[in-house]
Formats: sequence, structure tokens, C-alpha cells
Amino acid sequence: MKIRAQIAMVLNLDKCIGCHTCSVTCKNVWTSQKGMEYVWFNNVETKPGIGYPDEWENQERWKGGWKLDKNRLVPRMGGKSKIMRNIFANPDMPMIDAYYEPFTFNYSILHKGSKFKTPPSARPYSILTGQPMEKIEKTPNWEDDLGGEFEKRSREINFEEVQKEIYGEFENSFMLYLPRLCEHCLNPTCLAACPSGAIYKREEDGIVLIDQNRCRGWRQCVSACPYKKVYFNWETNKSEKCTFCYPRSEVGDATICSESCVGRIRYIGIMLYDADKILAAASVSDTQDLYGEHLNLFLNPNDPKIIEEAKKQGIPHNVLEAARKSPIYKIAIDWKVAFPLHPEYRTLPMVWYVPSLSPIQAAADSGKLGVNGILPDVESLRISNKYLANLFTAGDEKPIIAALKKMLAMRAYMRSKTVDNECNTDVLMETGLTPDETEKMYELMAIASYNDRFVIPTSHKEYAEDVFDKKTSGGYPKSYGSESELFKNLFGGI
Amino acid sequence: MEYYINNFLFTYFPHIAFAVFWFGLFTRFILANKTIQANSTQLMTNKGVKWGSNLFHYGIIVVFFGHFTLFLPEEVYHLVMSTETKRMIAIIFGSFFGIITFIGLVILVTRRATDPRLRVNSRFADYFILILLLIETILGLISVFTTASSPLENYTSLGVWTQKVITFQPEAGAMIAGHSIMYKIHFVIGLLVFMIFPYTKLMHMIVYPITYFFRSGYQLVRKRS
Repeated sequence: MKIRAQIAMVLNLDKCIGCHTCSVTCKNVWTSQKGMEYVWFNNVETKPGIGYPDEWENQERWKGGWKLDKNRLVPRMGGKSKIMRNIFANPDMPMIDAYYEPFTFNYSILHKGSKFKTPPSARPYSILTGQPMEKIEKTPNWEDDLGGEFEKRSREINFEEVQKEIYGEFENSFMLYLPRLCEHCLNPTCLAACPSGAIYKREEDGIVLIDQNRCRGWRQCVSACPYKKVYFNWETNKSEKCTFCYPRSEVGDATICSESCVGRIRYIGIMLYDADKILAAASVSDTQDLYGEHLNLFLNPNDPKIIEEAKKQGIPHNVLEAARKSPIYKIAIDWKVAFPLHPEYRTLPMVWYVPSLSPIQAAADSGKLGVNGILPDVESLRISNKYLANLFTAGDEKPIIAALKKMLAMRAYMRSKTVDNECNTDVLMETGLTPDETEKMYELMAIASYNDRFVIPTSHKEYAEDVFDKKTSGGYPKSYGSESELFKNLFGGI
Repeated sequence: MEYYINNFLFTYFPHIAFAVFWFGLFTRFILANKTIQANSTQLMTNKGVKWGSNLFHYGIIVVFFGHFTLFLPEEVYHLVMSTETKRMIAIIFGSFFGIITFIGLVILVTRRATDPRLRVNSRFADYFILILLLIETILGLISVFTTASSPLENYTSLGVWTQKVITFQPEAGAMIAGHSIMYKIHFVIGLLVFMIFPYTKLMHMIVYPITYFFRSGYQLVRKRS
């Protein structure tokens, strides 16, 4: 057993109001420089929709993630030799037009120009060419709040096995917001496809990073990532991606997207997992088993045996402490109300989502609630369970239904407690929750106070290197690399 | 005068060029390592990438390594083949892959010059190296036909010249004094390419990630350092 700690995130979609504050703060901090105008490490999509970049979920088109080739796990875009053969021209690389052509406006014309005969307007200018653009074709949130016609949006792959005609009708339409960022996967394809070995997973916290000194711009990571969350900087010609705001998380602060989230939907915590089991878990034949296999990777931070073993393997005390208090563990493992996004890509993503509840469909039809026993029937929720299952469990509806039931039960229980002043425990029966547990769930998911949402251990710089040896050797090196590093990069050496 | 120029260009210039080459290679590798990269423009436009880039790269790899056979002394390759056979192989491979390289380069140059996004974001260096390689490829192709139509000794003396150069023999230049001017320009530009190599994006060649094949499995985990 190889125990590793992973910093993970849960997003409670039930509370997301789609305000894009996370995207904007992230943009300002990380991707406002030249070459990165089109890049959003964090973006919020309105589902259903084809998303950003175009149809990113359609892996027939983009070849992201992994596939099983005779029970062997290989990147969908091809194994090592195919990747190397395609290194001169990546056939699966999304063009910048699949994201959007970055643009700006020439505002100065409004105050510098002479008198206008017509009402003044600012035309969009392409940042790529500097030329005026006839029309803005799209932006990263072109489909915001169901913008555009259903016909286009419904090309989305999650409508598989869902009767999408029904959802095309106005009175039946639904939407949910899906904020997306790098998943910091346990089995990242971007990393696997990087020929230079520039992308790596940090052992201490599992953050997936691109070493800008090692990146040679072979651009295989861009197409390998099934979430399309590795971006090519056209100015520096190197790839960049979400860093989980490591300068913040190392000192125990929440990422900027989480910190600025007005809906308080984001949770950050530590998960312990067994790294030896990753390959086996990612290679199960049935994609619907991936969610279960993923759950099995995690280790119970309260188990004394695990604690002892983790200590032996050098996991610091404060990380173990944080793992015990991890909000992620409670939401994803104890209550099982959060799910990985598209587990069928076999990357074992570590940003999980609580599916959103939706208005009761049948109520609109018959004027009364569809009630199954005491609780509203989850089948009559407006967002099809199948649709959510296609997003989060590779199409398996059972875990989704169980999670939605728990969330409905929590609401009903707390309503009975605070409004009727009596604790209606009947509503909890079907879900297996105890009143005590329900109140804890309410505390964490509904009240969601800052210290409960973010349990982030500070990093241990003292283990990173022997700083005493660095005495008098200066701060930043005069040039790149010390003598011992001279040849480490020759032919992509690692 | 002619002797002087010939001696300079084909006896001494190769050493000057390679001195600069090695000096630049090491200094850039050490001092500006992170600037060594592929500089792909594929994100901007896919137009011409598939054919242009693939034809050019695969063509020039074969052509590049083909030139190394010049360093084989006669006694060595005579163990396997005659000089005539070697020349025949060189002509066939050289012309085929030379033409492939040429087509690729033409696509790449037109792509860069015609696409509005690329035109705005291309620097002088981007055009310069492409044009230089294009001229070199054209001269190389012409030389292939010159080789095919001239006596066998002409071909052997090319090999002898390269061997004399790398063994620092002062009469090296005299070996090719009587050769066609096309050859000579081809050599000079070729050496020029080597000379400026460390200061161009051609440097991405030396970080070609061969080690990817030897990485065990796919995943990489590193400690923060």
C-alpha cells in the first residue's frame, strides 16, 4: 500500500447560481497575459450545452482521456509510439476557434474620434490579428443561461439515452450550471501524453503541474486531457493549466475560485488514497464500475491502522489531521452525495460535484407534487436522472437517485425541525441517514461556514530541500539550472 | 584569390561553423534551456499543418541522417556495397525525401505567409529559417541531379572531403575545388545553418523526447523542490 494525500474539491451544484465570479477572479489572477486571452482555467458552463471548447465531452471527436485496448489502459489518442509519430502535427488538437477567437474593443475611438454622424459604437478587434471582426462567433459562455437554440445545445453528448425532444419544449426545459476547472486527476492523461515529462503530479498534495522549464511545446497534453483543461499559450508556445492556486493552497488558503465563490458552493480538503491501486481501478472493463472503484481507492483517515501506516510512509501530521476533518471525505464517502465528472474517461478526477436538485416536473403537469411516500419523487425532478448520471456516473442512475433522495430528505427533515418545530424522522427512513448525521450534513452543505468548507494543511517546505545547504547561495539562480541539472533535459530527459 | 576563397570556405569555414555550433549549443542549453522548444503554431490554424509539417519533418529527418553516410570511408562501405550502389541509393533516397521535404517546406512557407493570424504573429526569424532551409533543399535537389549525371569520382570525392574535414587535414578544400557551384553553395549554406543552429528554433531537435519511450508506464510523480 502506497499512501498518498490528494487535495480535492467538491462543488455543490445545487447552490451554484452561475455568477462566473470564480471564472473572473481566476482569469484576473492567472490568465490575463498575452497568449492566454482565450484561456479560462475555470469556466462556468450552462448545461445542457456543448460547452467550452466546442463539444469537449465528445471524445469521439477530441480523443481525450483513456481507453481500454485489450484490457490495457492507453490514451484514447494512442499509445506512446502513436503520440510520438503525431508529434509534428497533432491530428486531435482543438484549434483556437474551438474555444473562441479572443477579441477586444477599440474604446479609444469613442473619445478620440471626431464627431460621429451615426451613434458611436466600438467594434470588436481580434487579438490574434489586430483586425476588426465582422461578428463575434462565440465566447467561453456563449450558451450562458441557455443562450442559443436548443438544436445546437442538444448536440451535447450527455443526452445519450435521454429523450431530448421532451427537453426541447419550453415548459420542460431545464438547466444547471457546471463550473469546470482542472480535475487534478489521479490518473491524468495529459501527464501520460507529455513526451518531455514536463507535466507531473506533486507527491505531497497531488496537484498536477506543468514545469515551464521542461515544457517544449509538443502540445500532446492539450488533446489528451478529456476535460480540455490544458491550454496552449500561443505567445510562449508552451502549455499552461490550473495550478490549484498552489501558492495559496501551500499556505493553507483556499484557491481563488473557491475563496471568491459567493454561493459558497466549493469545498476543499485532503483525501488519502492508495496509489498502488490506481492502475487497476482505472482499468475496470465496465465504465459504470469506475465510480465504485474510485471510491475504493480512498482510505479511511480515522482508521488507526491507516494512520500508523501513513505516518510510517512520511505523511506529515498536519496532513493527516486535515484528512480527518476533510469536508470532501464527508460529502463524497460518508454521505455519497458528490460524484466525479465523467468517470468514464478513466482519469479518476478529483474535483467532484454534488448534483443539483430541480423543480418537480409533475407539479407543473398536474398542479400537485408527485409524492413518493412522504418525499417528492426524484423521478419527477425536472432534470432527468439519466442526464445527471451521464454526467457523473457513466450512466448509472442508482447512485444519483440515492444522492438526490438524501438531499431532499435533508431539506424535508430540517424544514420539519425549523418550521414545524418537530423532527420528522420518517423522511429519513429510506435514505439510511440518522437525524444526527442529517444535521451535520445540513451544517456542512447548507450553512457551509468558511472553516468547514476549507480544511487545507500548510505545506512542509522544510522537507522539500535542505535549506541550510542553500545558505549564502543566493535567492534565484543567475541562470537556469545548477550544474547538477545541466543535462537533465537532453532529449527530454527526466 | 579563387584558391584562397575555396580554401577558406571548404577547409576552414567548416571548423569555424562547428566551433560556433558547439559553443552555441552548450551555452544555450545551459543558460537559456527553457527557450529550447518546438514553437508550434498549430493552435492558430490547422491549415497546412498535417501535410506541411509531417512531410517536412519526416523528409528532413531521412535527408539529414542520409548525409552522415558521407563520413563512411570507402573501405567500410565496400564491405557491403560498391560505390555505384551507394551512389544509386543516395540518389534515390536523396531525391525522394528531398522532394518530400521541399513540398513540406513550400506548404509551411505559404501557410505562414498567407494565414492572417500567422502573418501577424510571425517574426523575421521564423521566415528566415524557413527560407534558408528551402534554398538549401532546392540546392540539395539540384546537387542530386548533378551527382547522377557526373562521373563517379565526383561522388567519391565528396565523401573524402568530409572525412578530410573532420580529421583536420589542410588539403581538404582542394578535394572539391573543381565541383559544380551548386554543390558549393549547398555546402556553404548547410554549414551556415549549423552555425546559426543554436540561435534558432532548430534547437528543438536536441530536446526531441526520446526518453518518453523509456519512461516506465505513463505517470510521473515528483516531489516539490
